[in-house]
Amino acid sequence: MRAVAQASGLRQMGVRPPLTDYVRSLWARRAFIRTLGQAKAYARNQGSYLGQLWSILNPLLNSLVYVFIFGLLIKTTRGTENGIAFIVTGVFLYRFFDSSVSTGANSLKSNMSLVRSVHFPRAVLPISTTITELTTLGPALVVMVLISWASGFIPSQGEVPFTWRLLLLPVAVALMWVFNTGCAFMVARWVAITPDLGNVIPFALRFVFYASGVLFSVDHYLKDHEALAGVLSYQPIAAFLDIGRQAVLNDPVAAPLDLTMWFVALGWAILFLVVGFWIFWRGEERYGRD
Amino acid sequence: MSIPEEIDFEVDADDLSPLAADARPLGAPSLVVDDLYITYRVFGGKRVGAGVGAPPSLLKRLLGRGRTHVGGVTSVEAVKGISFVARHGESIGIVGINGSGKSTLMRAIAGLIPPTQGAVYVSGDPSLLGVNAVLMGSLTGERNVMIGGLALGLSPEEVREKFDDIVEFSGIGDAVYLPMSAYSSGMGARLRFAISAAAVPDVLMIDEALATGDAAFRKKSKDRIDAIRDQAATVFLVSHSLATIESICSRTLWIHQGKLVMDGPAAEVCAAYKAFVKAQDGASR
Repeated sequence: MRAVAQASGLRQMGVRPPLTDYVRSLWARRAFIRTLGQAKAYARNQGSYLGQLWSILNPLLNSLVYVFIFGLLIKTTRGTENGIAFIVTGVFLYRFFDSSVSTGANSLKSNMSLVRSVHFPRAVLPISTTITELTTLGPALVVMVLISWASGFIPSQGEVPFTWRLLLLPVAVALMWVFNTGCAFMVARWVAITPDLGNVIPFALRFVFYASGVLFSVDHYLKDHEALAGVLSYQPIAAFLDIGRQAVLNDPVAAPLDLTMWFVALGWAILFLVVGFWIFWRGEERYGRD
Repeated sequence: MSIPEEIDFEVDADDLSPLAADARPLGAPSLVVDDLYITYRVFGGKRVGAGVGAPPSLLKRLLGRGRTHVGGVTSVEAVKGISFVARHGESIGIVGINGSGKSTLMRAIAGLIPPTQGAVYVSGDPSLLGVNAVLMGSLTGERNVMIGGLALGLSPEEVREKFDDIVEFSGIGDAVYLPMSAYSSGMGARLRFAISAAAVPDVLMIDEALATGDAAFRKKSKDRIDAIRDQAATVFLVSHSLATIESICSRTLWIHQGKLVMDGPAAEVCAAYKAFVKAQDGASR
């Protein structure tokens, strides 16, 4: 049978294609990836009177909650010039990571009917979910920058002027998106093969949340534990939060401009993308059978 | 086992008239299925064993009960060792009762379900034409046409070119600018069919697609399938209407419980299958 097939130049179906072919076919589907990702982001805000206005209102309400609780009631932000801006940038960027991983983990399961009806490289799905999150983040970033700037007028908070550094924010977000996509690839495969892991991911994410200095400055709180502080501030999420804050805040203590951190972030992004993609590709012939 | 609704004995005049038996010459192999096995992993259930025999012991029952709620994984063998070769220019019908593995076989050929064991070799890009292509309910038909077209591997320009065609063929008119959640189930099925019929593949598989929509749409989709059929190298048709299969297909496969029971000229296989179903039906009365 195999000889007959090979003699007439047939292609074997349902097997993992070589890595280069896989990347090429994925590139050929880039329009599909973008359209699917953006359509999902758009669909999130359908079904209400205000429609797409919610893409602005949602992050706005969100940041007001944080401003109220952490800016006015609880002081976790010692060691920062402007606690409100520090927390708002941290929370928004962290949510980008958090939602990319949790929706990425379910990207195969939630699109199973698509997987079962059309043939395409399955890596389309994790990427399109991080595109969805990136699209959702767009309006939220504008809100984030404006809230940070406005918080500078509260007397107890340091000023957050608009500077040239804001131009670095898109770079930081792009790096973080690359990193998130790598993470989404990994968890997508693990959860597709062992669905039980889907229940563990929220706990892992919560752990990362507290270990990444989203609400407080790691350096300030771990002044006496240099080794631990070093690990915690160079781990990927902390690095991305830091470069994001460097772009937005004007804080020489909590987020001084530091080129090293940008290279650290770049390294994490590339490492996770390459390893994550490889892990996902290795499972290609398993997706869709369950 | 009663399966009275399995066969559509009615001969629809539409099914027979425009379709002469396929007289195209057979070419080189376009599809080779080599000892194919597909096993699904099913969570959260346990296949109930044979109901006859002594009741299991208390201990066994307790353990068994635990297994359904914790670690309840069942393997379902949908296709068990099917092999055949299809050639360019052939139209092949697939018959079998519900749950016999027809759709799974089609999906495996289309590359949608990876084989557990064995292999499928195909020339070019196979495509499954069906009414189950997923679309997003909260988005407009227009956006869904774009997503569906891109999913099939068309470029955005190609989809834009075909957009008017697709909408016209689906016959849903201006409703294409409304969210799909507002569609009736028939309208949704028409649009899905129109989208999936937009691309012409080398190996075409049609899974019950003929049964979509009202009489007028049925006629229209039939014409469209004939047109695609003329361009595609090999056509597979899964249908419960034996009249349709006999009129369209030159060859027929009969699948039962995941195994290939019979493979031969359409008339012979359909006759044997018909006799089988009648016998089953008679036995159950």
